Amino acid sequence: MTVVMIGNPNVGKSLVLNRLTGSNFIVSNYAGTSLELSEATLKLSNREIKIIDTPGIYSIISSGQDQRIIKDLLEKEKPELILNVLDATNMERNLLLSFELKQLGFPMVILLNQIDRARRIGIQIQRERLENIMGVPVLFFSALTGEGLMELMEMLEMDKAQLNRPSSIEHYWKYDNCLECPQCSGCSACSIGSESCLGSDDFRRAEMARYTTQLVVHRQSKVQRYWIDRAEKVLDQPVLGTAILLILVFLGFYVLLKFIELSEGPINALLDPVNIFIENFLAAFLPAGMVNTILSKAIPEGLIIPFTIIMPAMLMVSLLMSVLEDTGILPRYSVALERAGRLFGVSGQAVIPLSLGFGCRTPAILATRLMPSMAERFIVITILSIVIPCAATIGVMAAVISAFDASLLVLLTTMLAVLVILGFLTSRSITREELFVYELPPLRIPDWNNVWKKVRMRFSGFFSEVLPLLLVMNIIIRALIESGFFELFYALESFTRSLFGIPADAFVAVLVTMFQRYLAPLVLLNASLTPREATIAIAMISLSLPCLPVMVMTVREIGAKGLAKILALGFITSFVVGAALNLILPG
Amino acid sequence: MYLKDLKTGQSATVLKINKGHAAERRLFEIGLVPGTRVEVLSRHPFKGPLLLQVGNSRLALGQGIAQMVEVELIPDQDL
Repeated sequence: MTVVMIGNPNVGKSLVLNRLTGSNFIVSNYAGTSLELSEATLKLSNREIKIIDTPGIYSIISSGQDQRIIKDLLEKEKPELILNVLDATNMERNLLLSFELKQLGFPMVILLNQIDRARRIGIQIQRERLENIMGVPVLFFSALTGEGLMELMEMLEMDKAQLNRPSSIEHYWKYDNCLECPQCSGCSACSIGSESCLGSDDFRRAEMARYTTQLVVHRQSKVQRYWIDRAEKVLDQPVLGTAILLILVFLGFYVLLKFIELSEGPINALLDPVNIFIENFLAAFLPAGMVNTILSKAIPEGLIIPFTIIMPAMLMVSLLMSVLEDTGILPRYSVALERAGRLFGVSGQAVIPLSLGFGCRTPAILATRLMPSMAERFIVITILSIVIPCAATIGVMAAVISAFDASLLVLLTTMLAVLVILGFLTSRSITREELFVYELPPLRIPDWNNVWKKVRMRFSGFFSEVLPLLLVMNIIIRALIESGFFELFYALESFTRSLFGIPADAFVAVLVTMFQRYLAPLVLLNASLTPREATIAIAMISLSLPCLPVMVMTVREIGAKGLAKILALGFITSFVVGAALNLILPG
Repeated sequence: MYLKDLKTGQSATVLKINKGHAAERRLFEIGLVPGTRVEVLSRHPFKGPLLLQVGNSRLALGQGIAQMVEVELIPDQDL
């Protein structure tokens, strides 16, 4: 048996799925957390049920990537049941989708999720009445407390398979009655495709949703106010709220840098004896020769940067990002920064993928689906790929800055300048409508179990990907250094010196960023650089190409052509930054 | 009058969304259906976005989109 879950964004579909099947899908408090289908299996006494969670949508009729995915899924899977998940505190808008879904003809169950919160804010819903109107079973549910879980399980256990299912649903979204021209056949007369045009059926359903809500929802006049509601009021004020949000960012960075600084001592104290042991052990154990020199040096040295800098950075960034996501503060940045974003050609939604990028850029690329148009997606992916430093990159920057006394101020100013210029240039190439619409989630106290789960998940990449990769690459680079391979590049010395003001080995580090941005410092730290040279080199590295996983994701999302453009821009940016800094910075 | 003309704290009823715009459907879907009551919670300075209370949800709307929604002011009940 197959069940498909459909509902508005941020009603808690993923949390319902987790509750139901004991899965661990990522949940956050903002619209657009799940952008792909996820699937889990529920084992009941008499059968196995496949439950598929879908991205949140407001309407299934309109054209859009998410709608397409869901329509294809319904057509292909022919589910035995649609589980329509609603936010009980927001019935009218949620019911609009329910009326659409009901017309498709699949057996359906309505789940009124967040019923606990609805009661808290004084909303009462007459369940039987809603069942009568909708003609489908309605359940109160709370993914948080588990209310309604048993009833839902029982309902799934009942045999629904004999119920009729439509053989095809394609005709449902062909030509809805367009108000402009009643015999609309999807012509191009009104520039809006027939699928995004509002028809009389839409208005009829909206009317039904409103009427139904009036019949079944009752509000108590006395509403209990909690401190979090007051906090929300303060945070949503234009000036004070924005100031608080900016202070939070500053505090976040402060905590991050302080954490790296404070943890370095204890980590080193633990790591040093291990490293000495590894070095001595390898030196004694391996036969004398080049392999011995390379491995006994490269392995201990390859552990230092990952453990002392990248590990604490990844840990802290994961924690801060998870808290921002779960409290619902993250989307508030999009509102506060909408104006600023317009300066470089993106709407406020861009804040979500851009700030996710500080954690890891790979999921951030996926989150660019929140952007209203392909053109804006391209801008945001470009900025993500070239400018935004991920947790690992931040760690690397911190390492180079502390090793060579490079200038943080110059680095940050350069990044900001590149952000503005790049945004300005890419946004020139598109015409754009101002389409900023976003639903703000209510503020919540984070569920610490969920935060902990996310930190663990984000951080697990350190041991499975970052550490092994860095170690292997460090060995390769050390081997190249020992073998004298890099000396071939020394012929470039006069060229790199005159153009970028950096020695050839630092330029090699810049080229290494092609493979993985956070590998470059391994080369860099083996060179001897002045603060000026180090500043230029790390600026060129920080503002260059995306790492391999990001490239793969980019191709998946916007195609190879888009990636090619971004790579070209990345190369140009890096070289222009180097040359410009060489001209500007005093020698 | 239009949504963008409302001041902080004012409430209004949505009359219609101007035609011929791809955003029309998006606004409709997110709950700005004709007849809906909206309240302006705050307006960000420098022509920044408007924060609206629609039912139990909070919507942030850019100025560009707010000038396409025609509304009728609901007079303040305290007056």
